[in-house]
Amino acid sequence: MTTPAMTRDRTGALCTIGPAAVFMVGIVGIPLLYIFYVSFNGLHFSFYAYVTLLSSRLFFQSLWSTFETSILATVLSVLLGYPVAIHLARQSPRRRALMMILVLMPFWTSILVKSYAFTIILGRRGLINSALSYLVGHKVALPLLFNKFAVVIGMANYLVPFVIFPVLASLLAIDPALGRAATLMGAHPLRVFRQITLPLSLPGVIAGASSTFIISLGFFVVPALLGGRHDVMLANLVDFYTRETLDWSAAAAIGMCLLAIIGLCGVMAATLRKVRRA
Amino acid sequence: MVHMEKSSTDTDMVAPPDRLRLQDVMVRYGDFLALDNINLAIRPGEFVSLLGPSGSGKSTILNVINGAAHPDGGRVFIDGRDVTAVPARERGLGMVFQNYALLPHMNVFDNIAFPLRIRHWPAERIRQAVTDILHRMGLEGFAHRKPRELSGGQQQRVGIARCLVYSPSIILMDEPLGALDKNMREQMQDEIKALHRATGATFVYVTHDQEEALNLSDRICLMNRGRIEQIGTPQEMYFTPVSEFTATFLGESNILAGRLVAENLFRSECGLSIHVVGRPDIPVGSHAKLLVRPEHVMCVAPAADIPNRFACIVENVNFVGGFIRVAVRGQGGGRLQFKTRAHNDYASLQIDSEIHLGWLASDTVLLPA
Repeated sequence: MTTPAMTRDRTGALCTIGPAAVFMVGIVGIPLLYIFYVSFNGLHFSFYAYVTLLSSRLFFQSLWSTFETSILATVLSVLLGYPVAIHLARQSPRRRALMMILVLMPFWTSILVKSYAFTIILGRRGLINSALSYLVGHKVALPLLFNKFAVVIGMANYLVPFVIFPVLASLLAIDPALGRAATLMGAHPLRVFRQITLPLSLPGVIAGASSTFIISLGFFVVPALLGGRHDVMLANLVDFYTRETLDWSAAAAIGMCLLAIIGLCGVMAATLRKVRRA
Repeated sequence: MVHMEKSSTDTDMVAPPDRLRLQDVMVRYGDFLALDNINLAIRPGEFVSLLGPSGSGKSTILNVINGAAHPDGGRVFIDGRDVTAVPARERGLGMVFQNYALLPHMNVFDNIAFPLRIRHWPAERIRQAVTDILHRMGLEGFAHRKPRELSGGQQQRVGIARCLVYSPSIILMDEPLGALDKNMREQMQDEIKALHRATGATFVYVTHDQEEALNLSDRICLMNRGRIEQIGTPQEMYFTPVSEFTATFLGESNILAGRLVAENLFRSECGLSIHVVGRPDIPVGSHAKLLVRPEHVMCVAPAADIPNRFACIVENVNFVGGFIRVAVRGQGGGRLQFKTRAHNDYASLQIDSEIHLGWLASDTVLLPA
């Protein structure tokens, strides 16, 4: 049975989420289906792209490198972002709003430009090495660029806000009376953090870390500019297949593999949560 | 309302040392003087309510005591020791919060065990103490529930249990019943009263609810704009208020403005001459206010032999439960609102009819203007 209220709800939903839904189906859904189609060689159906990948050392190397780099970048982002979120949570709302603009400011610059900036900072004759050379009095050339270190630094630089915001949201949701109550009962600030702040902000950390990780998996520009030959990530491999070997099926298959892995991670996380709840 | 067993102040031979003392405490928020020269001494085992409208400074006093606010002037003493600079966690206080402040990720047992684990009690002793207090608060069987699975009243019982379990000598309560419905509030008042008697701890109780303060307290400290307006037993506060603020904040009141024309005679601005009981601090000839409680205003016969009797015309009658509000016009034409105790007879009060209102001189209280 459809009541007038239900009809009204449906109309409301159609108006509010309809446009975005159509847009997403158009620019994500349909291309994704097309990539799926291409990965099986289109009209001449074949598994060859997947067979090629599974027998390619380069693919597994990049896959491993992608996960390793993403995990490192996520961990670094959480370590850097969490204290910032704590600091923001302690400010007055006005000050916090101002500081949040500062947190978002890096987004005003293209990631391409920022990555180039890192080559200036991290290079052999970059800012850091020059400063160190000046300090110690002889030439220092630490290998800071074109390696995993540079990639992780560059990625974390971009990703930290994705940790800060969800963590801040869960910190602000904690009743400040909890800390006051614990302090009055005699708790040291360290205990308050360990037993109250940290566990209650964990949902924000998990949300921030998972979105950071998923964004990391698809990074292209940063490893391309700051990484070395061994730091090829899957997105770079896709680029290689589409531009160098013109093997679109293989490139599409890489995309599908990455999507399948992320999907699997999501299912595993959801199951884990259900098991823990029960 | 009368609880004689508590008003032992007049039988105390020697005053014991103060459990808690605020001396010349001042707190300033920018230009706003939140607390202005507060002096307050609380004896061991006393139940003192800090009563007042919002913004009067009652919560600020609590925050000064518990270390959440630092006074800009003055000192705080606990058992004679100056704790003004001692951090909150070392003051050894207990506190019950309006919104319970239970740890949402811990069950009832762990919430109550929290202060004991801070004190590094052995596990077996903690289990015993928590079990005992759960039993005492009627919370058996709830040990493994999360706070969100409990009703408001049950959550506040957990909050109180968590406070009592480590036996602090001073227990601060910040509007602990403020989030509960009326029936639960009354029930919890009785429980808090019983706990106060059973523990012998010193209670400092913040509330804006005069009934709660009157019912629970040994003494009430009435706050007004950052100052102590009056401090005394509930009876003193109700029957001998020192100011119009106290008179109107506690209970229902009729206040008349006027002048004291003779030692025992008050002339109201609306022209009534009223026999009163004089007060040494209000000289004859000065402006003053007069308080008559609604329950003392009687509807009397036209020829009644009573010193204060006035004929007037009923203009309006409002029945509001325990008392009625009668708007009357006096002979001089002055208009007055009188609150008087509700009674079946008043239902027959006719608009435009003449009635005679009266009260005894001993039922009046002179207040400074």
